[in-house]
Amino acid sequence: MDYRIEVENLNVYFDELQVLKDVSLKISKNMVTALIGPSGCGKSTFIRTLNRMNDLIDTFRMNGTVLLDGGDIYNPKVDVVDLRKKVGMVFQKPNPFPKSIFDNVAYGLQVHGISDKDVLTEKVEESLKAAALWEEVKNKLDKSALGLSGGQQQRLCIARTIAVEPEVILMDEPCSALDPISTTKIEDLIHKLKKDYTIIIVTHNMQQATRVSKHTAFFLHGEIVESGSTDKIFIEPSDKRTEDYITGRFG
Amino acid sequence: MEKKYPRILFRKRLRELRKDVKEMGEVTIRAYKDAISAFINYDDDLVKKVIKTGEKIDKMNYHLEHKTMSIIASEQPVARDLRFIEASLKVGGHFKRMGYLAANIAEVARYIKDEEIPEKPMKDITQMAELVENMVSKSINSFLDQDMKLSRELHRDDDEVDDLFDLAMKDITESMFEEKDAIYYMVYLLFVARFLERIADRAESIGDRTIFMITCEKP
Repeated sequence: MDYRIEVENLNVYFDELQVLKDVSLKISKNMVTALIGPSGCGKSTFIRTLNRMNDLIDTFRMNGTVLLDGGDIYNPKVDVVDLRKKVGMVFQKPNPFPKSIFDNVAYGLQVHGISDKDVLTEKVEESLKAAALWEEVKNKLDKSALGLSGGQQQRLCIARTIAVEPEVILMDEPCSALDPISTTKIEDLIHKLKKDYTIIIVTHNMQQATRVSKHTAFFLHGEIVESGSTDKIFIEPSDKRTEDYITGRFG
Repeated sequence: MEKKYPRILFRKRLRELRKDVKEMGEVTIRAYKDAISAFINYDDDLVKKVIKTGEKIDKMNYHLEHKTMSIIASEQPVARDLRFIEASLKVGGHFKRMGYLAANIAEVARYIKDEEIPEKPMKDITQMAELVENMVSKSINSFLDQDMKLSRELHRDDDEVDDLFDLAMKDITESMFEEKDAIYYMVYLLFVARFLERIADRAESIGDRTIFMITCEKP
């Protein structure tokens, strides 16, 4: 099995509070992995560890290893900007920049030193097409991204993420602020993107996990209780706590 | 300690579903007993009642299907809840078939009511009928109580019914050779033996469904 990410014995603390306890998880290439669990169980902290977003928090401490393609991302020599290019992130609430649609997608490319207008134009179109947004915005690329609907804004954020050609896309509840139609579009997009990207999605929607992911990991109190094929987890979970959570016996 | 969210309405709907399956099971076994009784001591009213009950079980199954679909659509069940709902749907289908097979037995009773049935085939069939009644009852309880032991016993019982079916075939055929004029009504006895054997298969399938529901493995 080809793993894109290998996490071993990861412990994460904020001050004295331990939020992840001895977490180990291997994430396969070009596959969607869903992280489920009640609020405060450590799912978001876990994915934020994968692109070192937690580094921005003063009280953050960690030990254990996080390997991306076999390389330790917490090695002091790692360039964090370069890491976040490889491991992109889409957030719960769409967060486009108060700029034009074009500039939103071109931004990441410019940060990474691409200034040729033709290359930018080509890349922006390619990314918007990949994010299934092109047809809706091709005639208003210079208009403000803030004028788009929530679902369009979220797809724009996905376009912005994939413009820099990451290897991994982290999605932290990407549909929780969207209506059902926009949710369907994002889910279809996830299906389309998985052949080129490794996707890790945090979701509170069990059905969404079953629809989009091949693998699922269930977090509880900072630990992974169970991880494995999504079918197995949702039809015959091995651990009683997983069963109780997914069947809604506690939340 | 986690907060408990017991999904009160969902739990209630699952309890109701179980109650419906239980009720269907009770109606099915009553129909079966009546069919056998009408076969042994012919009673025209009882035959009509069994035929009607077969149709009633069909309707009950239809409602059960509706209910399960509605629960799946609105509650999106997973894991053991999903397996229970899926099994209920299948078990309902088996009851429906059993109900119609009971009606078939009752209908056949009409054709043989005035005939003298030879002792040996009659003995085979009554013995089969007793065993099958026990299997139907066992299958209902195995599902409702999620009893793996009872479910497994049904395999052994079904083998026994199959052996009795072979014996009944042999004895009925022999009687046909002995009394050629009897062939036209002895054929109906073959049907009865066949219907009983199929009811036993259904009971065994309910046991298998129960095992699948509990273990998620093919028995």
